Amino acid sequence: MRSEDRAWTKLREHAAARISPGFPDRVLRAARDGASPLFVAHFAMCAATAAVCVVAVALYHVRASGDEAAQSIAGWGEIAAQASDLEQGL
Amino acid sequence: MDESSTTTLGDRVRRAQRGDEMALRELIVSYQHRVAGFTYAITGRSDSVEDLVQMVFVKMARSIARLKAPEQFEPWLFRLARNTCIDHLRRQKLRRIFIPFAPEHENVPEPPGAVDAEELDALRHALAQLRPRDRALLALVQEGRSHAEIAQTFGTSVAAVKARLHRAREQLRIHYHSDEI
Repeated sequence: MRSEDRAWTKLREHAAARISPGFPDRVLRAARDGASPLFVAHFAMCAATAAVCVVAVALYHVRASGDEAAQSIAGWGEIAAQASDLEQGL
Repeated sequence: MDESSTTTLGDRVRRAQRGDEMALRELIVSYQHRVAGFTYAITGRSDSVEDLVQMVFVKMARSIARLKAPEQFEPWLFRLARNTCIDHLRRQKLRRIFIPFAPEHENVPEPPGAVDAEELDALRHALAQLRPRDRALLALVQEGRSHAEIAQTFGTSVAAVKARLHRAREQLRIHYHSDEI
């Protein structure tokens, strides 16, 4: 047996020794207990990311539409001023 | 694997899919050590092996009912294990961005007595030099998975698996022997 193959065998044995007695019972108990903390954490992270995205889009929309309205009002103001100048000229 | 053992496994998986806890327990007992070895090869940390293996089997227990082909249980289980390990390594990497460790905390050695064989130590160090995907690839080969099964697990072609495997083996050999010297 090559040294590398022996090392793989030892790696498997070493890892197998890390599994403590009663492991299957603990797994089955954990599987029965609701959602895993990992799942909850993932879900919370996704929800938080989605919320941040929605808020960012809403803020951008409010700001962009505000700018657009201000530009329109300024444009109309200019037209009104030009119209009033024309009226006075006539 | 011979035909009778495939039938027994298939039968066990089908019973587990119907919610038979005894069958689930038998599956865990049959695979716990193999999954532990696989997990250790990818993560390189024996102190996290049991937690990760538990995570893999909890996922298995919760999703086995959705497995369409019971005869595909083994590749499916190792795919679950591989994804769990890669996620774990990714989370660790992400955690390091937010909690920067000092260089001496980055590679905390295994506890004393945890690794008592030079060959194993050399293999662990050699594996640590490879990318997690390559470690997973080599560990799957060690698990006796065929090239076709590995290609399915990685979502790639058999030719790509062969090429990557060749490179990964070369890299492992170089680092393994440089550690041995």
